[in-house]
Amino acid sequence: MIKKLLLTIAAVLCATALFAQKSEWGGVKGTVVNRAGRAPIAGAVMTFSQSGETVAAVTSDAEGKFLVEGLENGIYDMTIKAPGFLDANVNVTVEGYVKDLIFVGMIVEQVVTEVDDSNFAEFDMDDSGFEDSPSILFDSNDPFTNIASFGFSNIRFKNRGYTSESQDVYLSGIRMNDAITGYSPFSLWSGLNEATRAKETTVGNEVSDYGFGGYNGVTNIHAMPSTVRTGWRFSALTNSALYRLRLMATYASGELDNGWSYAVNVSARVGGNDWVKGVYYRNFAYYAGVEKKFGDIHKVGLVTFAAPGQRGAQNASTQEVYDMMGDNMYNSNWGYQNGKVRNARVRKTFEPVTILKYTATPSDNLEASATLLWRTGKNGYTALDWYDAPDPRPDYYRNLPSYYWMDDPDYGRQNGEKAAWAQYAWEENIPEYAHLNWDRLYNVNWNSIDANGDSRSKYVIEERRVDQNDINVGANVKWNASRAFTLTGGFNYKWNRTEYYKKLDDLLGGDYYMNIDQFAERDFATNQAMVQNDLEYYLANGTAQVLHRGDKYGYDYYANVRKAELWANGALDLGAFKANLALQAGYETFWREGLVRKGLFPGLNDDGTEFIVDGKSLTTYETVNGELVPISSKGKSAVSDFFTYSAKLGLQYHIAGGHRIYANGGYFNDAPTFAQSFISPRTRNSLVPNLETMKTVSADLNYQYSNNGYNVRVTGYYTKIMDQTDMMSFYDDSQNSFTNFAMSGIDQRHMGIELGFKVPLPVQGLSVEGALSWGEYIYTSTPRMTQTIDNSAEVIVDNQPVPYWASHPIYKKYTDGFGDVTYETDADGNYVVEKNQKHYVPSTPQLAADLGFNYRTNSYWFFEIDAQYFANSYLDMNPLYRTDLAVNGPDGIFTPVEVEYMAAQEKFDPVFLLNLSVGKSWYIDRKYNFGFSLNLQNITNNKWVKTGGYEQTRLIDSESAERYYRFDSKYFYMQGINYMLNLYFRF
Amino acid sequence: MKRIYTVILAAAALFAGCEEFQPVFTGKYPDPQEQQIYTDEDFGRFTPIADVKQMYVDNGNKPYDITKHCVIKGQIVTSDQTGNVYKSFYIQDETGGIEIKIGKNGLYNDYKLGQWVYVDCTDLTVGSYEGMIQIGYKDETGEYETAYFEHSAIIDNHVFKGRMATEEELVKPVTIAGNEVYNEKYLGTLVTIEGCKYANLVFLIGYIDPNIVKESDKKSNENRFFLDDEDGTNWGITSWALSESLFKEHVDNGDFDNVVMNDGVTVGERKHLIKPQPYTMNQYFEMPGLTGVRRYLQVRSSGYAKWSDVNIPKPVLEGRETVSFTGILTKFESDMQFTLIDLGGVRKADGSPWYDENNKEL
Repeated sequence: MIKKLLLTIAAVLCATALFAQKSEWGGVKGTVVNRAGRAPIAGAVMTFSQSGETVAAVTSDAEGKFLVEGLENGIYDMTIKAPGFLDANVNVTVEGYVKDLIFVGMIVEQVVTEVDDSNFAEFDMDDSGFEDSPSILFDSNDPFTNIASFGFSNIRFKNRGYTSESQDVYLSGIRMNDAITGYSPFSLWSGLNEATRAKETTVGNEVSDYGFGGYNGVTNIHAMPSTVRTGWRFSALTNSALYRLRLMATYASGELDNGWSYAVNVSARVGGNDWVKGVYYRNFAYYAGVEKKFGDIHKVGLVTFAAPGQRGAQNASTQEVYDMMGDNMYNSNWGYQNGKVRNARVRKTFEPVTILKYTATPSDNLEASATLLWRTGKNGYTALDWYDAPDPRPDYYRNLPSYYWMDDPDYGRQNGEKAAWAQYAWEENIPEYAHLNWDRLYNVNWNSIDANGDSRSKYVIEERRVDQNDINVGANVKWNASRAFTLTGGFNYKWNRTEYYKKLDDLLGGDYYMNIDQFAERDFATNQAMVQNDLEYYLANGTAQVLHRGDKYGYDYYANVRKAELWANGALDLGAFKANLALQAGYETFWREGLVRKGLFPGLNDDGTEFIVDGKSLTTYETVNGELVPISSKGKSAVSDFFTYSAKLGLQYHIAGGHRIYANGGYFNDAPTFAQSFISPRTRNSLVPNLETMKTVSADLNYQYSNNGYNVRVTGYYTKIMDQTDMMSFYDDSQNSFTNFAMSGIDQRHMGIELGFKVPLPVQGLSVEGALSWGEYIYTSTPRMTQTIDNSAEVIVDNQPVPYWASHPIYKKYTDGFGDVTYETDADGNYVVEKNQKHYVPSTPQLAADLGFNYRTNSYWFFEIDAQYFANSYLDMNPLYRTDLAVNGPDGIFTPVEVEYMAAQEKFDPVFLLNLSVGKSWYIDRKYNFGFSLNLQNITNNKWVKTGGYEQTRLIDSESAERYYRFDSKYFYMQGINYMLNLYFRF
Repeated sequence: MKRIYTVILAAAALFAGCEEFQPVFTGKYPDPQEQQIYTDEDFGRFTPIADVKQMYVDNGNKPYDITKHCVIKGQIVTSDQTGNVYKSFYIQDETGGIEIKIGKNGLYNDYKLGQWVYVDCTDLTVGSYEGMIQIGYKDETGEYETAYFEHSAIIDNHVFKGRMATEEELVKPVTIAGNEVYNEKYLGTLVTIEGCKYANLVFLIGYIDPNIVKESDKKSNENRFFLDDEDGTNWGITSWALSESLFKEHVDNGDFDNVVMNDGVTVGERKHLIKPQPYTMNQYFEMPGLTGVRRYLQVRSSGYAKWSDVNIPKPVLEGRETVSFTGILTKFESDMQFTLIDLGGVRKADGSPWYDENNKEL
């Protein structure tokens, strides 16, 4: 066979030499086939380029045939891409005639990188004040992203240290990032891997054809039926990490002769996993789309999909708990209900998305599309709620030995026997103490009998609902004005109204619950009006609302967001040199609209008078811009609006042989999100003071080499993000209320290098791949902090600096022979600073490296082994520990010991991981394809790898009253060894 | 083709067989188990409360760590539902009553008024707080004679729930009068004291800044002030106790402006520094048949009680009518104090209540 091929090539070469003088132009033709069985591949795209510049492109027909003519004599780099196959690369010499390559063979892509948001455990951060939103990179032809997308997901790697909000995700040309939080909403289509497989991705500051983008890339998921891989595909996947089983079926027609295409994708993900009890999936997903092409110009597509279902969440605990349980995967969210595992924190979603898309291609150099997208439905997250009863959470700090005993007597915790009891309860893993005690909660409710003989629930399950209505209109145009100039541009408008409320999900055996703010009741028990969640109901009925299953209660408000954006990108193509300039302008406005009047913040009556109940005014005021303004829970808040503008510049230069040097830079001016802008949207209309836009400057310089199967990219980047705001809210039982921290003026600097490569080795089928991300992501400013509580209008900390946020000093000290530490002072008695310890952007390794070997045989086996190293990951900081108040202690006296203790940021240990993949596929009758892939993660079974967590925003008083101590931090750990086995069958 | 189907079927069987698939899959949970109710047979012999109290006395009025088998069977006679009794409950048998220092909030959810409980005192400590003998955990810090149990494992291994008392078994308050009030056997029990007349006196320890962590600074002459019986006035406080907001109202009204602190400065001069908090305080009543300081019954109520800000009935404040109190008799050093369980324990001379169930004056 090889001999034959060599002979053919030799013959062709001879012929080429003979006829070389005949013409200056030639061409190439051939048939693209599956290397196994020679089945023709339709729709494969061949691109011919010289010196990195694309000269021609052609698509194979239904029989896999292609022909390109009119190529100038010379050597071309021909890349062949077809969905489901590995990219191929061939050097072709054109010498005056149409060369027949006969067969161009392609290898089936066997590694199924299953990256969607279900690769991430849902971490329950709701009561922490922190957010957990892992960034998800998408698989692409980029050598770095290709590895990082799936390979770094275990460690919760964040690309260049950026948050999820910075990652722009488009669906059929509409930006899908959440209107309220900015998060990329992968969960909307998780489980629809086949329908959403076709996508285009840009990296860093690059502009996409679909949107202006930010500094962390743009991904556009096509989602139209014509882009779904043609044919039937069935797969069954089992894994030990998240859910037991995923079943998926897909069918896509491809574009039929009559211009129609249609596609269907359904899946189910169900079951628990090997590591975290209580985490389970009961998720389903569907996708259905039709598309019709009218003539050569018009195309209309209609798609609808959703991923309804529920999944149990995992919670973070302190190391003390993990150690006592002997398990870093301990999850405090579940307990036994008559012997069965039940999780209190369950995400329940059903958010259908409907897309109508129109595309027009009036000429070869003009393409325009318009999309209408509607997202609606419900998104709920359950949690325990309780009224005037003990905290039911097993890892509540008073249930731990450390609450009774600390070695240092200054903690005032010297009760060894009680500590021993607590330790016994945990270490013996007694279910009623180490886990939620559902049986007790039911018994309490059953026995809570009122005067009428009905049982008033003291513990219930609430469902915190975030129900979005999101309507988007978008239009994009791409005009190739000339061979040298292309203009792309677009317009996007988003209308969003999201309703936030609580729904009573389960009365846990009782008959009813009451719509009373129990936190307010603690402080204002004697004033019945003030403790009402719905004051108007109370005034009309003389009693608080009695709640039954399914009733709304607690809070209820709309978040309204309107956002418009216009952008254009002009790209100049002068052969080896290319440049582009893009501009964007936008307008964003948002406001809160309270739907119930809360007793604590009733605001004013409709006639502008104070709200008076029983002769007492309930109206409270806050100071906004020097004016006293009534605080209201009901009605429309002040409207915030922001004008935003951004610009991007890109330059690139191609050097013959597949080298490319390119640089991108951008300046971005983005509005804060709704979620960052209200101090306590659950209770009132008050805005975070001094809201302003976030400014970002970002630049990157890249080198890429892509030729003969080599693919290398090196990037250096620098990004400075300024004037960010952040809002944290969590329950603080020392205040008996939700506490809110609003931070403003947070600046960050992200710089580093990124390397990705894939290099073929001399052994056929063997290649080496690698990725490196090495950066420094740090805080650079002294932000300001405002603290409020949900329970009163009082501002506890008013716009105070957080001096130890960006760094803290390390002082010069020496230790004497007795182990006593003395801090050095200068002549004036000041402590001598040795260095300033920087504080880092948390929850991602700032150094991530991967090196792997990849071997594919002609008989469709593949083997992959890769080693990974992750380091320089840090814990999320809370602002309280970086204030003078916390550092100096109750006595207000600053000491080096206190600074170094209180302000320090925890750095996680580095980790080395080993992963293995193996797979094989079989062809039967040249039509049916059956295969499997098995992926083993973390083979060395490391179970001590911290991936994230947070500091509890609480202080412990000391006996000496000279200092404060910290509450223990809570952590999330990576799972130990995991497998994922995928079986698929397609035809 | 056949081979493929076989493989798929085999794979499906493999998946379905995985055990983690089941426990959390259905989303439907079985009914929980009913809590265990203990009976006398589970314990055998019981120690009378009076004997337990005697252990403290026999130990020279020092805390006594109980090491021998000792189980009390008692009926719960208090509830922390309205917040005046806090983190503990009182139990009573034929020989007396005693406080069990549990140390958790919302105890009434698990331990009902009128429920029998078995308290296994083995490894617990009987101690006293200013004359009130209590059962608690050993206080290793030595700060108090007993400590709260606090941890559920300690509580569940010492306090066992029995059934609810029948109507006949329910503890009825004993009406006491005159010098009987000073009979120690009534301490910690449910009693009724009739004919109490408002004395227009209060006791309260106030702070300019209650949040000062260092105890000596908190209790300093510059930070602490007293409203007490020597003032000869109730300082305008007509409620049973003071919530944070009511305390603030009094401060804002200038009611405490003329209170002189121990360093000679008036509260009025430090008014701008005051940080309000809820205050537990005593309202004084005169008991019939007694004279001198022995005539005062101090009704001590918590600023966290749901009825803290409810006013003492006007006719009582004005001295026109008296109150019949039902609650727990307690003491502080030599003073007799009284703990109301709720305002249902405040009744008129004819035995009818002064307040309805919503704490509105009738």
